[in-house]
Amino acid sequence: MAVSADDIRHVAALARLEITEDEVQAMHQHFEEIMTYFNRLNELDLEGIDAFALKVEENIPWREDRAIDSSVREDVLAEAPHRYEDFFRVPRIVEEE
Amino acid sequence: MADLTFKPVIGLEIHVQLATKSKLFCSCSTDYIGVAPNTNVCPACLGLPGSLPALNAKAVEYGVKAALALNCTINTATRFHRKNYFYADLPKAYQISQYDLPIAEKGYVDVSTEEGGSYRIGITRLHLEEDAGKLVHEASDGRLVGADQSFVDYNRGGIPLAEIVSEPDIRSAAEAKEYVTRLRQLVRYLGVSDGDMEKGSLRVDANISVKCSDGRWGNRAEIKNLNSLRALERALEYEIKRQSQLLAEGEEITQETRHWDDVEGVTRATRSKEEAHDYRYFPEPDLPPLILPEGYVEKVRNTLPELPWQKMERFMSSYELNETDAMILSEHMALADFYEACVEAGASPLRASNWVRTEVLRVMNEQKIDITEFPVDAAALAQLIAKVDDNKISTTAAREVFDTMAAKKVSLEEAMKICGVEEGGISGSDLEKMIRNILENNTDVVETIKSGQDKKGKKQKFLQGLIMKEARGQTDPREAASLLAKLLEE
Amino acid sequence: MKLYELSAAQITRGIHEGKFSASEVFLSCLARAEVLEPQISAMLTITEESGMAQAKAVDEAVASGKKLPPLAGVPFVVKDNMCTKGIPTTCASKMLMQWKPPYNATVIELLAEAGAVLMGKTNLDEFAMGGTTEHSVYGATSNPWKLDCVPGGSSGGSAASVSAGYVPFSLGSDTGGSIRQPAAFCGIYGFKPTYGLVSRRGLAAFASSLDQIGPFARTVEDLALVLNAISQKDELDSTCSCRPRPDYTKALNAESLKGRRVGVIKEIQEYAIDPEVRKAFDQTLKFCERQGAEIVEITLPTMVEYGLPCYYILALAEASSNLARFDGVRYGLSTDAESLLDLYTKTRAQGFGLEVKRRILVGTYVLSSGYYDAYYLVAQKARQLIKQEFVKAFGSVDTILLPTAPSPAFKKGELINDPIQMYMADIFTLPVNLAGLPALSLNAGFSADGRPLGVQFIGQWWDEEGLLSTASLHEKTFGCAPIAQGGVR
Repeated sequence: MAVSADDIRHVAALARLEITEDEVQAMHQHFEEIMTYFNRLNELDLEGIDAFALKVEENIPWREDRAIDSSVREDVLAEAPHRYEDFFRVPRIVEEE
Repeated sequence: MADLTFKPVIGLEIHVQLATKSKLFCSCSTDYIGVAPNTNVCPACLGLPGSLPALNAKAVEYGVKAALALNCTINTATRFHRKNYFYADLPKAYQISQYDLPIAEKGYVDVSTEEGGSYRIGITRLHLEEDAGKLVHEASDGRLVGADQSFVDYNRGGIPLAEIVSEPDIRSAAEAKEYVTRLRQLVRYLGVSDGDMEKGSLRVDANISVKCSDGRWGNRAEIKNLNSLRALERALEYEIKRQSQLLAEGEEITQETRHWDDVEGVTRATRSKEEAHDYRYFPEPDLPPLILPEGYVEKVRNTLPELPWQKMERFMSSYELNETDAMILSEHMALADFYEACVEAGASPLRASNWVRTEVLRVMNEQKIDITEFPVDAAALAQLIAKVDDNKISTTAAREVFDTMAAKKVSLEEAMKICGVEEGGISGSDLEKMIRNILENNTDVVETIKSGQDKKGKKQKFLQGLIMKEARGQTDPREAASLLAKLLEE
Repeated sequence: MKLYELSAAQITRGIHEGKFSASEVFLSCLARAEVLEPQISAMLTITEESGMAQAKAVDEAVASGKKLPPLAGVPFVVKDNMCTKGIPTTCASKMLMQWKPPYNATVIELLAEAGAVLMGKTNLDEFAMGGTTEHSVYGATSNPWKLDCVPGGSSGGSAASVSAGYVPFSLGSDTGGSIRQPAAFCGIYGFKPTYGLVSRRGLAAFASSLDQIGPFARTVEDLALVLNAISQKDELDSTCSCRPRPDYTKALNAESLKGRRVGVIKEIQEYAIDPEVRKAFDQTLKFCERQGAEIVEITLPTMVEYGLPCYYILALAEASSNLARFDGVRYGLSTDAESLLDLYTKTRAQGFGLEVKRRILVGTYVLSSGYYDAYYLVAQKARQLIKQEFVKAFGSVDTILLPTAPSPAFKKGELINDPIQMYMADIFTLPVNLAGLPALSLNAGFSADGRPLGVQFIGQWWDEEGLLSTASLHEKTFGCAPIAQGGVR
């Protein structure tokens, strides 16, 4: 599977990374190489292997439903890059959904 | 060309906030109503580096409970996935949700119609996921702070949700409304959610398409922002009309997300995103699989209460109530419990039904209270009803006593004292004395009757009314009527 | 002997016996770091004040005759991707340069309970992505044995600071070899525990299913002491095991390797390995034989051939998701922006370095619609296959010996623009992470030009004791890890 410059622009958009044309070009070859390398996995015989076996011994632990105040509120708000009163502030969002 | 007809095909996705004390993956409180912004937050629900999810056992139990009531198959081995997308209300830039293996699937619910029929709606799946935070566009005091800023409050972020997806079995806006009403009733009955649409504890998205009688199918639209039953019904009616019209004109229907504008009464296409959604789902590596232990599902099944439709059936068969009354009384579990407590305390089922449906509901309405806060307890009401049944006090007097108990929050005895109602009331010679007195003061009416001009008995009823008024209801109307007739003969 | 040269066990003993105070130890370590830092640059933050306060608290406990916890007064440093409350935790990224976490990682809490004294935070490849500690926004760390060489990575700062004698032990994180490879490059012990032995809570995640925290030390006893302190179950890490943990210091009394079967992987015999590394490996194998171990050839074909692509697909997929939270809204770097989208793309473009961006893009790609099945799903299956091969191998051996890395520390700048070659340096370490196994890297001599040579023992799941026991025999024979002088005499 060849990787196109458009593919790189597309994943950059998905990953919310601004990317310059120079970077796209620079990244392109690297991407090609990596993907070619990754494609080696297709040589494996993976017939019948369950990728996500659900094993009982790895069961999720259960947490008791108890409300506990973490008391990090002030520290966290103090670290907010853009704070307004007790809110985190972001550029205006026009509700779309 | 023959007239074309259009059949809507509707499926609903309902998000129900589960009534746990703590969030789905952390111990922050879920009680965010009236709480200052960003109070119920911790490293996990803010997505701080290094934080990890820890699953709330109660949320699993509530999810399974709701699923069982919806006749679903429970998957005892499931897992969580990450749904990756960026948004300001989503702290980790992924939502932990269930994807290929929901905790429950393949269920159904029967919904009764107003006409007395019933239809079955398939439940595709029920899965657990975490809620997002809340975007606010104005400050706490209502001020809009700058037109170019929004604010984020993560109090809601991480609250457990059960997403219930229906099959596209719904055929009209009215059916959709009935279905949501039924689900809301159910989650309330089970105690797994308060089901309050206004508060956002129950949120509905609708998928709708229409099929034309000439065989054409329209694409489906997803409608969001349906935050009341009325909005749901109106939006669907609007959308059915819009899509049918487009199809009638030979137009294509765009597959898109639309937003309901409650003020204008229209749905509008949301601005399309610069790229299609690609959620890049993959199994959440921070959580091992969720394996329900053996016997778990049965244990939860044993905690299921009698469901509303089961209760209704029983009210009809055990108490001989008609369907309408049984439905009203079984609508809310607490009301049904009140009614049954009343019956258990000795009131006759039919009388109790009348009293609860009329007087109790009226007072609840007037005082804007829930049955759980009702000032008159079921036993007291039963006593009151018994007094009427035993002809110890009249219905009119009983109503007055009941209102006093409700308004002043006093006991039955005190209310009777306040209203001056005594058991037994006026009878015998006292009653006779009183009637004679009334007849003397209304000689003209008495004359009319005696001269045979009161053919329809209206005048006599007028006198009877005067007696009852004078007695302030504290007399047996049958005794009063026969005494009146006897005295008029004289 | 200078105080900074002592092991953790010696320090606690000395403090207990009143030979010296915790404050004296702390000052000695601090002074050692001050002398060498200009050459080595291992530290991003030195917590002089809070560390001194902790040390004094230990001294007060001694004075009042209280029972001392097992690591009382032992200075340590941690990789700067573990959260320390109120102390900068940068992940060596521009994204978090200013960030002070409101909470401590579980391991930090546990070490504080054990009486250890935090002396600072160490350099790393940005978000633990790299194998050289060159990909740090704060600049590269140098190898204390050879300053023009890299210390390995990504936990290079933690390895270098122990190697250079700043502190007797440190913590690193190992996703594909990030503890063992720098331990080998710096000539010390590095221990990557079984996945799930140590809580990851508070470790800024690189790849959640592969990350594991572990110690660096210059003695095997110190490894065991630190492991005792940090390996507890944690109800806030659902992947952290509930199984009871033994006292790891009990594993240090082995007399020989009789009855132990040491596996040698057939497929790596033909692999291009630096001759001096190969020699160190052969000598360690001979040592095992002399100690009475039975040497068994095993085959792990998938691991050697396909481990690397399998690892990178999964690690980068998880990383792309784990690093999505850095969006300029709640903490860390945030640019001025016109719209939310603008805020995201600009913040992330400015905050992440080139290697991190590369990895995020590749990780996003392998999960994206149309490629998931071809890459992510196939890699998950390959991972199962590799695990199965290990299960089979451990049917006939108790431990596996192999070089930690194909070569000793290389020159700075050598691989910085050749990511695939850099990834190749992890070829012998990353299969361990894919399978979730424990592994211990130890020093097995030096190259002719004075670079440390490392080998690693891989153990069965939860057999930390077997690894410690083998390493302690090795230590008895060859001595503990020597302190590097960092170009200073």
